[in-house]
Amino acid sequence: MAHPTQPNRLSSGGLVDRTRTLSFTFDGKTYTGHPGDTLASALIANGVMLTGRSFKYHRPRGILTAGSEEPNALVELREGARREPNTKATMAELYGGLSARSQNRWPSLSFDVMSINSLLSPVFVAGFYYKTFMWPSALWEKLYEPAIRRAAGLGRAAETHDPDIYEKATAFADVLVIGGGPAGLIAALAAARSKARVVLVDENASLGGRAVDDASEIDGKPAREWVDAAERELSGLENVRILRRTTAFGSYDGGTFGAIERVSDHLAAAPAGVPRQRVWRIVAKKTVLASGATERPLVFGNNDRPGVMLAGAVRTYINRFGVLPGKRVIVFTNNDYGATTVTDLKRAGAEVVALVDTRPQPSEMTKRLAGEAQTRLISGGVIVGALGRHGVTGAVIRTNSGDEVKLDCDLIAASGGWNPNIQLATHQGAKPVWNTTCHSFLAGVLPHGMSSAGAASGALSLDKALASGAAAGSAAASEAGFATVPVSVPDARAESEAITPLWRVDNPRGKAFVDQQNDVATSDIVLAEREGFRAVEHLKRYTTLGMATDQGRTANVNAIAIMAEITGRSIPETGITMARPPYTPVAVGALAGHHRGKTFKPTRLPPSYKWAKEQGAVFVETGLWLRPSSFPRPGEGDWLDTVKREVNTVRNAVGICDVSTLGKVDVQGTDALAFIEKLYCNGFKTLGVGKARYGCMLREDGMLLDDGTCARLGENHFFITTTTANAVKVVQHMEYCHQWLWPEMDVQITSATEQWAQYAIAGPKSRDLIRRVVDAEFDVSDAGFPYMGVGAITVCGGIKARLFRLSFSGERAYELGVPARFGDALMRRLMEAGKDLGVCAYGTEALGVMRIEKGHISGPELNGTTTPRDVGLGGMVSSKKDFIGSVLGKRPGLVDPQRPALVGFRPVDRSDRLRSGAHFIPRNAMASATVSEGHMTSTAYSPSNGHWIGLGFLKNGANRMGEIVRAYDPVRNGDTLVEVVSPVFVDPEGGRVRG
Amino acid sequence: MAEPALVASSALLHSPPINHKSLTVAARETLTMASIGATSGKLDALKAAIQSAYGVALPDKPGRVEGNGIAFVWAGPGQWLAVAERGPSRDLEVELKAALPGLASIVDHSDGRVVMRISGPRARDVLAKGVPIDLDPRAFRPGDVAITHASHIGVILWQLDNAPTYEVALFRSYADSFAHWIEEAAAEFVSARD
Repeated sequence: MAHPTQPNRLSSGGLVDRTRTLSFTFDGKTYTGHPGDTLASALIANGVMLTGRSFKYHRPRGILTAGSEEPNALVELREGARREPNTKATMAELYGGLSARSQNRWPSLSFDVMSINSLLSPVFVAGFYYKTFMWPSALWEKLYEPAIRRAAGLGRAAETHDPDIYEKATAFADVLVIGGGPAGLIAALAAARSKARVVLVDENASLGGRAVDDASEIDGKPAREWVDAAERELSGLENVRILRRTTAFGSYDGGTFGAIERVSDHLAAAPAGVPRQRVWRIVAKKTVLASGATERPLVFGNNDRPGVMLAGAVRTYINRFGVLPGKRVIVFTNNDYGATTVTDLKRAGAEVVALVDTRPQPSEMTKRLAGEAQTRLISGGVIVGALGRHGVTGAVIRTNSGDEVKLDCDLIAASGGWNPNIQLATHQGAKPVWNTTCHSFLAGVLPHGMSSAGAASGALSLDKALASGAAAGSAAASEAGFATVPVSVPDARAESEAITPLWRVDNPRGKAFVDQQNDVATSDIVLAEREGFRAVEHLKRYTTLGMATDQGRTANVNAIAIMAEITGRSIPETGITMARPPYTPVAVGALAGHHRGKTFKPTRLPPSYKWAKEQGAVFVETGLWLRPSSFPRPGEGDWLDTVKREVNTVRNAVGICDVSTLGKVDVQGTDALAFIEKLYCNGFKTLGVGKARYGCMLREDGMLLDDGTCARLGENHFFITTTTANAVKVVQHMEYCHQWLWPEMDVQITSATEQWAQYAIAGPKSRDLIRRVVDAEFDVSDAGFPYMGVGAITVCGGIKARLFRLSFSGERAYELGVPARFGDALMRRLMEAGKDLGVCAYGTEALGVMRIEKGHISGPELNGTTTPRDVGLGGMVSSKKDFIGSVLGKRPGLVDPQRPALVGFRPVDRSDRLRSGAHFIPRNAMASATVSEGHMTSTAYSPSNGHWIGLGFLKNGANRMGEIVRAYDPVRNGDTLVEVVSPVFVDPEGGRVRG
Repeated sequence: MAEPALVASSALLHSPPINHKSLTVAARETLTMASIGATSGKLDALKAAIQSAYGVALPDKPGRVEGNGIAFVWAGPGQWLAVAERGPSRDLEVELKAALPGLASIVDHSDGRVVMRISGPRARDVLAKGVPIDLDPRAFRPGDVAITHASHIGVILWQLDNAPTYEVALFRSYADSFAHWIEEAAAEFVSARD
């Protein structure tokens, strides 16, 4: 009895749940289906055969396959933010309320304006873009590309942020089984029974593969019963993980695989907290590739019409989904397996109009099946062309004698043989080999640890698939170190794999497509060959064959074989088909997982973050750190107002800046001093305990690596600070030096960056402020705690702390460190205690302004191309010791007086703004790169000077004080006259730091 | 000056710990920790001193041993992280410096690292979403240690028991990002449904 609303739904059979009805829409029209359907099977159930338009010619297209190899039935799935283009209707599981739209059509699917391209197809041949849009090149961006993109788009991406969760996870397996068909299932059973840890991945919602698709028999019963039993056993084992709806998409080094699990794609929306998709990194000792095979289309005229379907897919729709894609069917095959389709069709109630077998002498089995199906067997015949436009209405058949007959039908089920799915075996570069039994490529040398079974290994027949799977599963477990238990291979009938290839039909009626997704026809291959693109890689690039999102899974082998035919070479001589990951498309969002937007990388929060946030601080990302850049107050017009106030407060009262982000490294050991001496270019021998010194580390090539301070806390105990940016790099450098260069040294290196909340307390009133938190027994007078003094102290009633009298601002200043858990409280205490002193917090902007005012170097000057001499620190480089960088730092080019050196700049017109990046050129020279004498590295508005100031590298700079040069900045139309001055703009004598 | 001592604050800004029958996640912020770096040529003496003071053998490979009220976590060749409850006034930097004179350098890590405890039947599933190593009981057991990363954050990870309970020690400034990640990773297991 026919289904009330789904005309092509069979009354029984398949895995769909007919007791429940789901409603969905396609192009706005409402249909119904059942749980267990894919969008494709539900559309077929409703008699919808036209599902989209093709990429280039906008030809009407339907559903060709029942799997992830589908080239045609690509839809936009879902609405709004969840809209996803190019979703394969064959892989989209049906859920209630599903909404899908066809692509590449305007204004409607049945009437598409761009199908005019089809009439112009003689123009749109292979290499069309290369030939047509070459000249004039200026038109490419303006005209050609936008027009082509409009015409050849593949759906529309969502316009707003994807609201769903994506994540990544890692799984480990002794044996990974890829594919849950009969071979994969028995391989998993064999391995699992040995207690090996097994991960079984399968692309589909339910297991069973072709055994279910073909309604085969195992042990004399429907295969489904055996599949269910196997699945039950595997599900009950703690050492087995079954990942359904999961495609293994890539094979990588060391037995690592990428797989995408479509966790919630089969639901209208993911439940709260549950990801939509999850990318698995699976690390496996051994892998059984049981990924099955993909059926090849036959290449005949108009073989892309809706209603031309792969024979295997027709069987899948009948047996797995309980739908019959056509009522009057012609089966077209070159092999015995394809011929079996007549049986399924007959059983499902279709009229099999004819079985067209390309072989003049079909096998006995084929003859028998044709007889049983009461169909006309046309031996040695071919379909030269399908009839009908939006759906097949018939076929023109050329018989063995050359006569042509026209037969009516509404479905052509075609089989050109099967290609084992060996992509994952070739991802790491192993070349496949041509096999003359199945007439396709098989994996040659498999990647280390991988074996293959079932159709993926060329064993198409169910009995062989089961036997090969059992053997591969046992062997994999055994090789992984497990004692295996013999697995009895269930009975299954031997199936004929006989095939006589036919790669293309001669003189087709209409375009005969090879790659349907990229609209590449046999005529394009002929053209490519004629124009000299005979190598497979050239063919691919010239015609775009195999370059679509389906990776040409239904196209590549046919194309190589056709090229072989044209050139008179064998297929292996012509070329091979290799694949790169991903096997099926993977959304970038899934690969990113949790790490998108603000969580792209972790954020590091300094100890005073919470307090600063409460103050309304503006934050800046410095590496992974989030640091306050300024602390605006009400009434301040812009950032410059705030920065001016913060700088003036430090210069006149006292300010506090969280400098916890600076790297801190604890160095101890009897060789600590010797180690420090080798690391820094300046000397530390004379540094007393309780003192700190500024120092620079160089790279081996003599360039500055980093600068900072080194404090001596004890005879054999040093405490180093680094810049925020280089904290990790410096520790790595130190570890490298210790582990590889001087392992004999007794040195222990420990990163202590995060242990201490460290605050710079700077300004003429800084001592008054610290006196209020430092416990009374510690002397902080200038005599007791002079400039560059260091000490272990306690604060706020016994909390251990470290005090450093260091200054980056040029003012009297201290750095006070407390254990990080007290950092928040100390900041609050300091701000409270310093109220009457006019204390303020300052951020990285003010910090930067004050260091530029003092001519201190920072990131823009420590840019990897500068030496101590370049930045004006040549005098501190020791000539009395060996250190890293000492030899190469003496190279002639690095000590050339003409080399750009650090100097200060101020605008001749004091109201001019300076910008870093500007190049220095002589006053009267024509502006060009050849006359550049250096560039501006850092600029700031100096509240202390009342005008902009800059630091930069200028050729022979130190000897050019007072000279006027142009700071030329074509990027921002800057052209300013600047005067060369000392880089120290504030307190050049340096008296303030000493108080 | 009689002002009260400073109050310690959490490394976590706002992420609440997870307390669910399938998973608990909590920050352990009452620990005192110190890194131990063996002095060259003093490894045996150091081990003997630890053995006599705490009754445990320092592991030579990734592992964690627990003595009376203190644990030692392997942190690299010749390096360990000592972990203990702070209690009213315990300070491992001070204690170990006194116990191991000339045998090792000791650096306070009580604040540099935050230890997060992840426990419950779902702990492994959640960690699998960010930790790239095998935590299956066949490969990783109580007492095992790994220096690895969790969601791009460097961690020292160890297992305590078969609940299973794991602890990760990460640098303090990453604590909030770590908590954010683990909340997202755990969401499917600890949703409002149960």
